[in-house]
Amino acid sequence: MPSTLAEFSQQLADTVEKAGRSVVSVLEGGRTGVSGTVWREGIGVAVDHTIQGLDEVTVILPSGQETKASVTGRDPATDIALLRLPTETLAAALADDSTARPGEIVLSVGRRGTEGLAATYGLISAIGGPWRTSSGGRVDRWFRLDLNPFPGFSGGPIINASCEVLGIANSGPGRSAGVIPAGTVNRVVDQLLKHGRTVRGYIGIGVQPVAFPEDAWQKLGISGGRGLLIIAIAPGSAASEAGLMLGDVIAAIDGKTLRTGASLQSILDGENIGESVPLDVVRGGQLLKLAVTVREKPVS
Amino acid sequence: MNRNSQVGISLSEAISKVAADMREITVKVSGSNGRHGSGTVWRQGLIVTNAHVANSEVHDVEFATGLRAPGWLLARDGELDLAALAVSAPFGPIAAIRSADGLRAGEMVLALGNPFDGQGSITTGIVHCSVSKSPRLLADIRLAPGYSGGPLAETSGAVIGINSMIVESLGCAITSDAVEEFLSRFYLSEAA
Repeated sequence: MPSTLAEFSQQLADTVEKAGRSVVSVLEGGRTGVSGTVWREGIGVAVDHTIQGLDEVTVILPSGQETKASVTGRDPATDIALLRLPTETLAAALADDSTARPGEIVLSVGRRGTEGLAATYGLISAIGGPWRTSSGGRVDRWFRLDLNPFPGFSGGPIINASCEVLGIANSGPGRSAGVIPAGTVNRVVDQLLKHGRTVRGYIGIGVQPVAFPEDAWQKLGISGGRGLLIIAIAPGSAASEAGLMLGDVIAAIDGKTLRTGASLQSILDGENIGESVPLDVVRGGQLLKLAVTVREKPVS
Repeated sequence: MNRNSQVGISLSEAISKVAADMREITVKVSGSNGRHGSGTVWRQGLIVTNAHVANSEVHDVEFATGLRAPGWLLARDGELDLAALAVSAPFGPIAAIRSADGLRAGEMVLALGNPFDGQGSITTGIVHCSVSKSPRLLADIRLAPGYSGGPLAETSGAVIGINSMIVESLGCAITSDAVEEFLSRFYLSEAA
């Protein structure tokens, strides 16, 4: 009878092997190639920044076959790119990332060209709520992993002990391993398949965060001390039609006071397009109530 | 009784048991310049370590039992980072050797060594990618200075490599196959 440890070891290797049936290698990515995950039938997901500017990449399929794959969509905000893969590739089983718990065992699986599978092993250290990337992309959940990133792991799956994909591996701050959770990847993949791109909301203003003097916000009856000073308005934009003017200071968005300059991002997700958002604006020492209708961001 | 906690406990017990076995075949190797690393009792009277650990003619070799003996340099390959030392010491446990060929990515491995002043420290991880003709094996283990020359073993405690260095945050070991090839090159194989 095999020992507990040998059994555990074989189970880990079996899990890596099984997950590896949905992991491809993308030769052009990074310094020495990166990985990609077969997300749905004929659709692969890779990390966008690793294959920036490429319309076509060379992939090594789990069968060992080398083929070209076109990049059919990309969302730089969440760092996801879509690859068109042959339909015979096997899609990965996805986890419900909302049920993951700290302490769970995870594996990062990648493919190194024709050399085969590569993996590292670790734990979920901590799980947090939604966050935004520096380019404004909404990520539904934040994961800290106690796991060694390895060259080329980006784009490969982070899997749990049931061999389900928790998310796509991406480099995090300071050589840590980050994850784009499966739910977020699904949302972005749906949008990319539907529109060929991800839609973002747009109202057409440029802003600068400012602090109100204490007596001013007490006099105006606004609860926060921060605002967004409008320093640019695009002609013909939603903001201009809503009556916003240069020099206005936005004190609240949708009834919520502003804690950080990024607060504006929260109304610019694709789902908010067409919605009217109430704004509290300070103009000439008076508080005004306006509403702006979020439009789709024009393709630049 | 919670089944999960039983699994956890039997795993850690199993690791401790393998670690105890591995400690018996791991030695501390100190060169004349005061630096130290680890070594593996490959067979009776023969210690395999790294070339960067064995940097003098004679070394102080300390067994897990506390026994100390001089280890004379027999062979050294700086490129492969391997060295062989001869010790005359009473017969004790020797390493069970297993080929690293055929190990799969994800299989569990254990490394033993003497980092800093620690005696017989253990670290565990998994095989990073399967070995293909390379004399080196990458494993997801946290090596530290002092693990050099010690054994990398699979879950039964059989030695599959000699820990050598850290490559892009992964542990790198010289495979047992490369060690055997090195020993035969210097006419140190058991058959010779």
